[in-house]
Amino acid sequence: MASMQLTDEELFSELKRLGFTPGPVTENTRPVYLKKLKKLREEQQQRGSRSGKPRSGAVVNSIIGGGNTTGSRPASHDVTQPSSNRRPGRKSSVLGFSSDESDAEIPLKRKGLNHSGRVDRSPAFQQPKPRPITPTVVNKNHHGAGSPLNSNDSSRSPDGHRGVSLVWGARARSSPEAEGRDYDESGDEDDNEQATEKNSRSLNGCGASHSTPSKLAGDYSDSDEEEANLGAEDRRRDRLGGHRSHTKAAFLSQGVGRGPQTGGAAREASPSGSVNMVGRRREEGEEDEEADQNNHVDSGDGYSRSGDISRFSIGLRPRFSSYSSLSQPYRSNHSNHSTSNHTYSQAALKQKLSPPEDELLQQFKREEVTSHGSFSAHYLSMFLLIAACLFFLLLGLMYLRMRGSGATEADADKVKKDVILQLLLSLHDHLAHIAGMCVCVDTFFMTMLLFFFSLSQAQNQQFEGLVLESLEWIIRSDQDVGIRLIGQVPDDPVTDINEISRLESTHPNMPFVCRFRRAFLTGISRVFVFLVAVGLVWSVVFYIKYRWRREEEETRQMYDMVERIIGKELDSLSGDKTFSTCLFFSATLRSDLTEPSLSCDKSTSMPSKVWQGKAFPLDRRNSPPNSLTPCLKIRNMFDPIMEVGENWDLAIQEAILEKCCDNDGIVHIAVDKNSKEGCVYVKCLSAEHSGKAFKALHGSWFDGKLVTVKYLRLDRYHQRFPQAQSCTTPMKASGPHLRAVGSTDGTASRASTSSSSSSSGFS
Amino acid sequence: MSSTSQKHKDFVAEPMGEKSVTTLAGIGEVLGKRLEEKGFDKAYVVFGQFLLLKKDKELFQDWLKDTCGANSKQQGDCFGCLKDWCDAFL
Repeated sequence: MASMQLTDEELFSELKRLGFTPGPVTENTRPVYLKKLKKLREEQQQRGSRSGKPRSGAVVNSIIGGGNTTGSRPASHDVTQPSSNRRPGRKSSVLGFSSDESDAEIPLKRKGLNHSGRVDRSPAFQQPKPRPITPTVVNKNHHGAGSPLNSNDSSRSPDGHRGVSLVWGARARSSPEAEGRDYDESGDEDDNEQATEKNSRSLNGCGASHSTPSKLAGDYSDSDEEEANLGAEDRRRDRLGGHRSHTKAAFLSQGVGRGPQTGGAAREASPSGSVNMVGRRREEGEEDEEADQNNHVDSGDGYSRSGDISRFSIGLRPRFSSYSSLSQPYRSNHSNHSTSNHTYSQAALKQKLSPPEDELLQQFKREEVTSHGSFSAHYLSMFLLIAACLFFLLLGLMYLRMRGSGATEADADKVKKDVILQLLLSLHDHLAHIAGMCVCVDTFFMTMLLFFFSLSQAQNQQFEGLVLESLEWIIRSDQDVGIRLIGQVPDDPVTDINEISRLESTHPNMPFVCRFRRAFLTGISRVFVFLVAVGLVWSVVFYIKYRWRREEEETRQMYDMVERIIGKELDSLSGDKTFSTCLFFSATLRSDLTEPSLSCDKSTSMPSKVWQGKAFPLDRRNSPPNSLTPCLKIRNMFDPIMEVGENWDLAIQEAILEKCCDNDGIVHIAVDKNSKEGCVYVKCLSAEHSGKAFKALHGSWFDGKLVTVKYLRLDRYHQRFPQAQSCTTPMKASGPHLRAVGSTDGTASRASTSSSSSSSGFS
Repeated sequence: MSSTSQKHKDFVAEPMGEKSVTTLAGIGEVLGKRLEEKGFDKAYVVFGQFLLLKKDKELFQDWLKDTCGANSKQQGDCFGCLKDWCDAFL
């Protein structure tokens, strides 16, 4: 950008145009603004080249562009704003096909927004038809022949090449008859639709796409009628072409892998768009095939084929060429790059329409893609449902089969078996009854009678001869019929019928009362056991808690003793476990005595009244930027209750003077002995001195307390301390530093000078 | 607390008055001399430039770099110093 010759005003206005509000352009600021302008322009160019997502970029840019100029990155964001402003209709326009639309956009941007008029028109076109119908508008432009549709179909399948050619063959065959250059659209459309459907069916996979093309065709035809910009003939042609391209688009959208197949598709920003473009391009290419063989190779600038819709006889064109040719007319609409003969010379009009059509087609294809996806999802759910039903059915059948097989065991001697079974049943019942009575009444002799009893009973009935046999059957069968055969020796398995001396029921059928009683007893016993267990657990828990409390008590006592020990160094307690622990604690605490954490009573050996560093660095937030008055009130220097001794106030004065030893402007110090807050009032020579003292004192640790300082009004100070009015001589610390404990003292004395360094250390 | 130098703190603690340009944080002897040669002999002149550039960080830092060859740290320090001074007194 030749910006060297810009005057100040030009620079200013240029920067403003790019969305950046500059300050005054003076001789000093000029170079800076020039650099800024360069940067903004570069960013703009960059954004223009990345036209893949103009609307998103525009949106983002507008959002960011509205940012402040004083922000850290104002210009870069501001740049986007004008670009966004320049494309108001972009967002809506790129809904659908994007293929040609985005392609149109790129050259637009490259030419520096010169085509904004056309761009604006495309949105206008699209807005009236936001539906997916708009693809038809797109399709109209290339007026694809039947062969283009074939190309669509072929493009749909993954291995589309072969399929495409097949489809094309079919289409070509079908189309020629319908093609008649007269554009009998309805007939053509019907034929095309049928052919499309047939072809689509023949192809693998995309079975569901049949309906969509026809629907789309219908939609397209409707939208075609809506298109006001085209003449009647154009409309018809468009419809036909749109139909084809529409179907093509449908197929294309389903066969997403078509993108790379067409060179022209490379220009597309989005894959679906590329798919669209591929389809369209192929259509156009096919049409133009006769006229221009290069169409299919043409990548995006082959708008030349717009007129070749008349070429219905191209059916046998190779797919690529057809694809490209299909796309050609579409493209040519945009850029009048017509090298082939256009039967349709809609030219500029078509060009304007194709972008919106492209977008609509794009959108449509995207919707189709999504529908296809949802379709498969639908299939999946159906499949799962069916699988579950089948599974349950199978399960039931298996169960029945098992039952049947189980039930079909005994088929031989059925009658005899039934009789035996009945006998056994009665025997069983009787035995159960007896056994129940036995259990309840607890008499054993009854079992002896069992055998005879049952036999006599059995003989009374008609199963006389079968009693023995039934018993034998019991022995033979392994099933548990509820009757146990007991021989002479108990617990010996009975193998021969002669050994049977007793019969016993394994399932005693007890009278109700007995049963109830037994149940009751069982329940009670069980509850009792449970209660015992609960009681045990509870007792354990209780014991644990007791122990824990005991321990806590012990430790508390220990702490008390420790505290007492700290106060009295030489105390010695009776021999106790806690004593040793107390000594240990005291030993560990001894090392902490110098820390300002314990506020203990006075003890001569214990150091006190020392400055112990700074708590926080002074900055703008916690201190006034400049000293206000020469009077200070220092808080929390001491605790009047805890102070012992005669001259502790003097000690405090000394401490303050030492802290401000470099500040020789302190003229009066007053320690308020009775203040609970431990206040000390200081007056300095000037505000500057008081400021220095403030910096030195505020936020320091003194004797384990955090000291705070604030300014006082001079008149109040004089009201309170009238003697201070006459003080003008600076006070000085008297004598060497008394409150030194090792190195800490040195630190404290140097605290005032090093406060800044310490504060910087803190920060 | 951000790490600000002592120079920064000193400058921000009070009105700049007639302070020399070398009292600005990030501006030492060499840079200060260059600035003075360009006519920015006082801190308030640099501050004026700062205001002219509408207190924009990027612009001011660019300007500083062009004018006296300050590196990015020095630029940042100076900008921060002036900005804080603005917050405190302006």
